[in-house]
Amino acid sequence: MSATTVPTTTTAPTLWVRRPAGAKWAGWLRTVDHKEIGVLYMGMALLFFVFGGLTALTIRVQLAVPENHLVDPAIYDQIFTIHGVTMIFLVAIPVLVGFMNYMVPLMIGARDVAFPRLNALSFWLSFLGGLLVYFSFIAGGGPDAGWFAYPPLSGHTYSTGQGLDYYILGLAVNGAGTIVGAVNIAVTILLMRCPGMSISRLPLFVWMTLVTSFLILAAYPALSAALVMLFVDRHLGAHFFDANAGGDPLIWQHAFWFFGHPEVYIVILPAFGMISEVIPVFSGKPIFGYRFVAASSVAIGFLSMSVWAHHMFAVGMSDAENLFFSGASMLIAVPTGVKVLNWTATMIGGRLRFTTSMLWATGFIATFVMGGLTGVSLAIVPIDWFVTDSYYVVAHMHYVLFGGVVFGVFAGLYYWFPKMTGRLLSERLGKWHFWLTFVGFHMTFLPQHWLGIEGMARRMWTYPASTGWGTLNMLSSIGAGVMTIGTLIFVWNLLVSLRSGQLAGDDPWDAFTLEWTTSSPPVPENYLTVPVATSRRPLWDRKHPDMKDPS
Amino acid sequence: MRPPAEAIGALALIVTAIAFVIFLGVEAALLYSAWRFRASRVPGLAPQITGNRTLEIVWTGIPLLILVVVFVLMTGTMREIGTSVAGGSTPAQMKVLAVGAQWWWEYRYPTSGGDVIVANELHIPVNTPVDVDLETADVVHSFWVPEISGKTDMIPGKTNHLRLYAAHTGTYSGQCAEFCGVEHAWMRITVVADAQGDFDRWLQAQARPRGDASAGAQGEKVFMSNLCVSCHAIRGTDAKGEAGPDLTHVGGRTTLGAGVLTNTPQNMRAWLADPQKYKPGSLMPRVPLSDADLDALVTYLEGLK
Amino acid sequence: MTAAQARPAGRLSHAPLLGMALFIASESIFFMTIVVAFIALRPAGLATAKQELEFTKTLIFSLFLFASSGTMTIAERRRDRDGWVWLVVTGILGLVFLTGQGLEYVRLLSTGISPAAGMFGTTFFTLTGLHGLHVLVGLAAITGLTIASLARRGRVTAVGWETVAWYWHFVDGVWVVVFSVVYIGTLIG
Repeated sequence: MSATTVPTTTTAPTLWVRRPAGAKWAGWLRTVDHKEIGVLYMGMALLFFVFGGLTALTIRVQLAVPENHLVDPAIYDQIFTIHGVTMIFLVAIPVLVGFMNYMVPLMIGARDVAFPRLNALSFWLSFLGGLLVYFSFIAGGGPDAGWFAYPPLSGHTYSTGQGLDYYILGLAVNGAGTIVGAVNIAVTILLMRCPGMSISRLPLFVWMTLVTSFLILAAYPALSAALVMLFVDRHLGAHFFDANAGGDPLIWQHAFWFFGHPEVYIVILPAFGMISEVIPVFSGKPIFGYRFVAASSVAIGFLSMSVWAHHMFAVGMSDAENLFFSGASMLIAVPTGVKVLNWTATMIGGRLRFTTSMLWATGFIATFVMGGLTGVSLAIVPIDWFVTDSYYVVAHMHYVLFGGVVFGVFAGLYYWFPKMTGRLLSERLGKWHFWLTFVGFHMTFLPQHWLGIEGMARRMWTYPASTGWGTLNMLSSIGAGVMTIGTLIFVWNLLVSLRSGQLAGDDPWDAFTLEWTTSSPPVPENYLTVPVATSRRPLWDRKHPDMKDPS
Repeated sequence: MRPPAEAIGALALIVTAIAFVIFLGVEAALLYSAWRFRASRVPGLAPQITGNRTLEIVWTGIPLLILVVVFVLMTGTMREIGTSVAGGSTPAQMKVLAVGAQWWWEYRYPTSGGDVIVANELHIPVNTPVDVDLETADVVHSFWVPEISGKTDMIPGKTNHLRLYAAHTGTYSGQCAEFCGVEHAWMRITVVADAQGDFDRWLQAQARPRGDASAGAQGEKVFMSNLCVSCHAIRGTDAKGEAGPDLTHVGGRTTLGAGVLTNTPQNMRAWLADPQKYKPGSLMPRVPLSDADLDALVTYLEGLK
Repeated sequence: MTAAQARPAGRLSHAPLLGMALFIASESIFFMTIVVAFIALRPAGLATAKQELEFTKTLIFSLFLFASSGTMTIAERRRDRDGWVWLVVTGILGLVFLTGQGLEYVRLLSTGISPAAGMFGTTFFTLTGLHGLHVLVGLAAITGLTIASLARRGRVTAVGWETVAWYWHFVDGVWVVVFSVVYIGTLIG
């Protein structure tokens, strides 16, 4: 075997990273280690996931029966607003950035990220931003204009409380952290790869992370700019979005979606990347069409910058604008489809091991393909006129964001958890977690397609009994209950496995990539000697010297 | 001409069919591999296949072609139903202005005698393309009656257009589709498609000021001496408020509070006694009235047909 | 392995410079968004702009900022000798520019033009204000570099100097755009 072999962990490992004894809690505040910061990001995501989940449950309880007066509408508005803000900015982004932070340096054979101290700053800004948004509830009421906060509803005339101010401030601070973090990750990938780790050998998770980082750099500033305009409108009496004074509320919509649509790809691409790591390993063969999977990410990245106004087909744009954004949005289905087909082709002819991680990955493809297809229907202008802003969109969006991002993250988590902690998550609990979530998810969101087509608009705090929407809504709410049980099992699994999970060893999955050559959890600077990437699958090469990966 | 919703439905059917085939294909491939290639059935290592360029080109090209076809079909549908901007291939035979406000609707019918103003219940003649101009009095709203139209937003400072076409007489329900504040949910839309004759009679009736109100004279006094008058207009009286719905013919409407209650005397009484109970957050406050005053007010308002 | 080992070449192979380049690209989109909003809302504020803006005075103050890019370059070249002096000169030129902006603000505010007063005030103060804030950040960076270069003479690397310089040139470049859009644009009509 190669010279870079490190001692296998035989005793119970310290959690997460090997750190000197004694330096426990204060260490988390001071740390500039990419692995610890990665764990901090994931912890932040888990914390806010609790709130995001509770708000989701409240929504489903309220909508379970028609004309329900359980939740006051003014509270309901805050609940769905904070649900969206939380899940996008304080759960999806942090958990993915957490994985990027932890895994990217390991996967490219680097000791750390390019700017470790800046990395800590990024995390604390992101976290502080989240706290600021939530502080609104203590200060007298959360933001209540939806996560995309369209003016004039979000302006000072119609949102008189301070909720929107904390939304602005929180997201601006959180966004600054995300931008700085993206600079850091991009520089790390571009400059800190180990010998042999050429661009065409980058693990696909790293590839997608790179594209995501560039998308963050391109998209987030538009949000910051929109927030600044909303802020001066609210506090300096300015008129950017005030039609009575010559302003235009559509400027907000353009700026917000110029950020908001790439944001969807910002969160889905890393999940794509995780799937692209998990599926080959558990199929026992390399990814099918590596170059096409990588290149399609770049295509998605570019296209995603020119599709934002498909969120605005109903605002009365010209035919030319509608057709342009429709065409661009349809086009993005092509590289996305290429990915789905390549993952499927990777499985065909493989030797499939259905670990929990692989179950999530397969469930991801099965679910995401549906979200992708309804996405195409939303790109078609007349269909969009019909279903936009209805529960059809709610369903579509959760198919891509939950069935996509969340399933992908769970695939990644079950896969990398042993690398991060030295212990395996329980496969038995994991399978319960998967199946309950999978069934609960489809039960929750599949019926919502029909609700939307039948005329149920999103963000209604209740609906008339005469509409007959009660049955499907009840079904949807029961599904949410099923998912909750799955989530509780997951949390239980996490707690139990952290303490007493089976010891993993360095390479529990018979994997391919560099991170599995170091110890679990990795030593402080990741590798005892500088690793060498002999191909796209350096670890495969070591295990199969007679049939090395040709890349 | 068919209703826009039907044209959209036809397009959606084609798209759904294509999508369904792709969906089934992918799911079938997944299930097949999960069954055929599970580790227990594959001895030794899997063949190390890294890809196939031809296949990649094929499955990039075919979706692209399908999308081109869908795009062309889409432009056809857009021409047929008229986009929100261009107005469609069939010229409209009628125009109405719809104004969204937190959380109710005002409709203005332009006639030679000036605008006829009604609230919360839009009547249109059946089998007639109707162009609705869409404006808002405050925040962004969106006008959507699923069975007879697509949806178009009402944006401050802008007039949008939407084509309505009902192929059958009857009542169609819709919903404000853009989140517009606390009572977004109870901003229901009611569209009544009448035979042309019925429609003309209805419009003429709506154009008139309130009729003989002698039966409700006591109620009118209550109305005029309370907060009601500051927000609502009743043509033919001194009530000229513009903040809330015009009530000149409120007794003839099918619902109250933009769809929150069906219009019966009992419901009217309950609504007037406490609007916040049925539509919490509504801009209509609870006005303290004695039972006698309430009864008189209900008689008066229900008499305004 | 070697040919495909593509890494950014030249100066961009230095992490701080590559990071700064990416950050500047990101900041450009921030300003682009505000500039696009300015242009979209320009017609509503144009009449006031024509009446109230002082082109010549601002042009003169702008020249100070443009000149500061030159002195920054000199400072970089002489970093091992008296570069810090040129950094101070650069900072002073930046301060003069900011003073000009401040005077413009005071004058406008005293005639009743404020962010709340109309579309011109809204767009003008937001765009130039955001630029001004970036100048302030640049000045802070220059101050930091000056102190560091004096305290650890000769030990601040060339890359360190260059990173600060890039940001300063960027702030300068943004002003070229802002000045063109706001002042020259108004002049042309």
